[in-house]
Amino acid sequence: MAELKEYVLGRKNIEDLDNADLQEIPNELMTVNMGPSHPAMHGTVRVVLTVDGERIVKSDVQPGYLHRCFEKESEHATYTQIFPYTDRLNYVSPMINNVGFAMAVEKLLGMEKRLPERAQYIRVLVSEVSRLTDHLTCIGASAMELGAFTVFLYALKAREWFYSLLEELSGARLTHSYVRVGGVVKDLTPDFTTKLTELLEKTEGVIDEVEGLLNNNKIFRNRMEGVGGMDAKEAIAWGCTGPILRASGVDYDVRKDFPYLVYDRFEFDVPVGTSGDCLDRYLVRVEEMRQSIRILRQAMAQLPDGPVMIDDPRVALPEKSEAYNTIEGMIRHFKHIVDGIRVPPGEAYTFVEGGNGELGFFIKSDGTGRPYKCYVRSPSFIALQTVSELIQGHLISDVVPIFGMINMIGGECDK
Amino acid sequence: MSDTQTPSVDTVTITIDGKEVKVAKGTNVLEAAKSIGIDISAFCYHPGLSIAACCRQCLVTVEKAPKLQPSCQTTVADGMVVQTKDAQSTLARKQMLEFTLLNHPVDCPICDKAGECTLQRLYFDHDNARSRLDVPKVHKPKVVDLGPQIVLDAERCILCTRCIRVCDEVAHEHQLEMRNRGDHEELGTAPGAVLDNPYSMNTVDVCPVGALTAKDFRFTMRAWELELTPSVCNGCATGCNIEIHHKNERTWRLIPRHNPAVNDYWMCDEGRLTYHELRERRLAGAVLGGLPSSWDRALAAAASKLETVLTTDKGRVGVVLSAQHSNEDNYVLSKLARNIWQLERIYLGGKAPAPERADDILRDADVNPNTAGVKAIAAAGGYELLGIDRLEKDLADGTLAALVVLGHELPLSAAALEQAKNLDALVVLAHREVGIAASAHVLLPVAAWAEVHATITNRKGLVQRMQAAYPPPGQALPAWEAVTRLGQACKAALGYTHPKNIFTEMVAAVKPFAGADWGKTARPTQLRFAGSRG
Repeated sequence: MAELKEYVLGRKNIEDLDNADLQEIPNELMTVNMGPSHPAMHGTVRVVLTVDGERIVKSDVQPGYLHRCFEKESEHATYTQIFPYTDRLNYVSPMINNVGFAMAVEKLLGMEKRLPERAQYIRVLVSEVSRLTDHLTCIGASAMELGAFTVFLYALKAREWFYSLLEELSGARLTHSYVRVGGVVKDLTPDFTTKLTELLEKTEGVIDEVEGLLNNNKIFRNRMEGVGGMDAKEAIAWGCTGPILRASGVDYDVRKDFPYLVYDRFEFDVPVGTSGDCLDRYLVRVEEMRQSIRILRQAMAQLPDGPVMIDDPRVALPEKSEAYNTIEGMIRHFKHIVDGIRVPPGEAYTFVEGGNGELGFFIKSDGTGRPYKCYVRSPSFIALQTVSELIQGHLISDVVPIFGMINMIGGECDK
Repeated sequence: MSDTQTPSVDTVTITIDGKEVKVAKGTNVLEAAKSIGIDISAFCYHPGLSIAACCRQCLVTVEKAPKLQPSCQTTVADGMVVQTKDAQSTLARKQMLEFTLLNHPVDCPICDKAGECTLQRLYFDHDNARSRLDVPKVHKPKVVDLGPQIVLDAERCILCTRCIRVCDEVAHEHQLEMRNRGDHEELGTAPGAVLDNPYSMNTVDVCPVGALTAKDFRFTMRAWELELTPSVCNGCATGCNIEIHHKNERTWRLIPRHNPAVNDYWMCDEGRLTYHELRERRLAGAVLGGLPSSWDRALAAAASKLETVLTTDKGRVGVVLSAQHSNEDNYVLSKLARNIWQLERIYLGGKAPAPERADDILRDADVNPNTAGVKAIAAAGGYELLGIDRLEKDLADGTLAALVVLGHELPLSAAALEQAKNLDALVVLAHREVGIAASAHVLLPVAAWAEVHATITNRKGLVQRMQAAYPPPGQALPAWEAVTRLGQACKAALGYTHPKNIFTEMVAAVKPFAGADWGKTARPTQLRFAGSRG
């Protein structure tokens, strides 16, 4: 041990230091880059830390490393072509983005009340599955960043089950593009509900395991409890939503307070925290997963039969046989693909409960087949602005749990 | 619009869909509606043609009239109340479209009109219903050769007769007719006629579907993938306004652009096909003594050759302006030749006139787009332009020692071309390596008309703006810039950086150009989103 001390402080033990030596200890502030290439920075954000030893004096959070001009690109794509772009917003819960965007276009078309029931239920199903994958990723990755690698493996194992399920459904593991304006692109696979029921049961087991490994784990608690706290007033002032706001004790969930689709038909609770620290954010997310499972079970029980696409020629593609054999179907198909869905001029804003909070889409239409303006209110972007405040005065090691529990997703933040 | 104002005898006020609109007497209801942004669907109506009212697509409700009225044929009357969105006319539109589509073949994937088709647009906007047809479609000939430019697909034809009226009223030749009745009615050439009038390709533009297609454009490019840039035709002195339709820095077709002062909605076939030269034997780099060269080396060679003659024997240096090039190009060269080098021998080049093509419709005998412009520039410079015969003579008797030529079009005899090779210096600025350009000692590559922002002056003295659709190939530069560089290489004080600067200076200096406007620079628009076509 003595050797180590010597190494750190330079040739002398700390007890033996005198005043003259103290002058030599470097005490000026130091600037350190954390990210964008840092395992805990989610690969896509740079934090310039000004540190006094291990303590953060000042920080500058710089997003933009995953900027893909989502909003600008949307102005050059037809409404249907934008779905693949939305997949890449929060890429651990792409279905919720799909649904949010579709709802904005449907509002402009005035057809949000006429969607087929089954399509609405399917949208709820895939949204909640996406919420599970989002929270599993967040918890698993954050635990791993604090050293609990086992948790990561358990959580990702469960996430992979759901990804496989959605891949079976949509054809893509991650970028599903499953939702369409007016419904969803195709019906559920025949054994979707059977498989999902099975998976939910197994996932409950995984959540128990994760909780067992973390909740009373001394290291985990020490690093999470009392770290990065934010009270309700602050959280609201920052504009935070989702698990971060709820961890600070505010009972706000879009699904409860502004129910969309068929969320008002399900019984579920909105978990809230008390102290708003990292541990609360973690606990809220765990409980949300349990609530999602509750919703999923109710949705599967209530799932009605029927079409999954609205019967409106303005948005629905004709059947293949119609497109090939009748000129009417052919023209309709052609116009949908080349010119895009004709959306009447106007503005619409819709918001859904995304993985990280309120995910909003604002669309201004000029009556053509592509948006005049498409704006996305991405919860990650809004949550990220608190980071610099939250890590102020903490140790460098605290950046990791704080950043993990803010769960900034590059694709969504940088848009 | 105050109450005290007496209503003008020339205007009438009518109400369309609850909106009051004041229009000139004699306007039809369809145009009146268009003026307030109500687009009444129609196939057979064309603003530049007579009215047939045979498609019945534009039926609207006129109050106090017993039946639906075709809005294209109904002239406005004071106090008329028109409904275009009521149940009756909406249903009429839907039913007419269903009728029109009954025997229409499922051709969109192979049809050249797809993407700019009126039938597609109107069906999608006004009908969008499923097919109820349960009997086989009536089949008609698919590939009918109507003439040198046009192919007919009789199945696609919706019998609007626009093409017949174009031939009758624009080309003044009756070459197309309908025959048979009912669902066997079919378009064809009139007895003993072929569709060979010089305006035949306008039938393709007015065709609301893909029945008439141009052999030149057939199966070459999907319409919705094209971009369009407004420009002016360089085929003759008329200066028809056009749209250049291009993709990947290549022009695919030229389409007339409406301008009531010049060409209305039309242009001639010959003009449409001029775009082919934009790709044939194009010059992409400088040529020095028949071999590829860099700009710097070519300019240095040209300058050393010219400067020798200029200092020793200025009277034997000639410059050829070009009626094929823009005002800006000629103005800069004229300035270099006249104001800086102070030369006497300035000639006018360009294609030889073709009197056989002239008519009193659009085609002019002068096949150069800018003769009027060059003449105006020379007049403002206070010198006389010498003709081609004079150039031949000067070459033959050895008066000339050096020649700077703008453009490759110079109708010299073979002997004169041979003599030009023996000059001390022959510097040519051209975009194609043909004619005089092929004999040049120093050949500088310049941009063609589709690649420049410039103006040209038509036979009526109208200064019209051309827009660059895409950049010139390789190392070619706009001719004004090439002239500027050549001048600078010869140590002349010439420093233009943008055609707009030249234009502004030129408009101030050349009286006939006074009042001309440079206008806004247009960026290429995607045809798919242009909205106006189809």
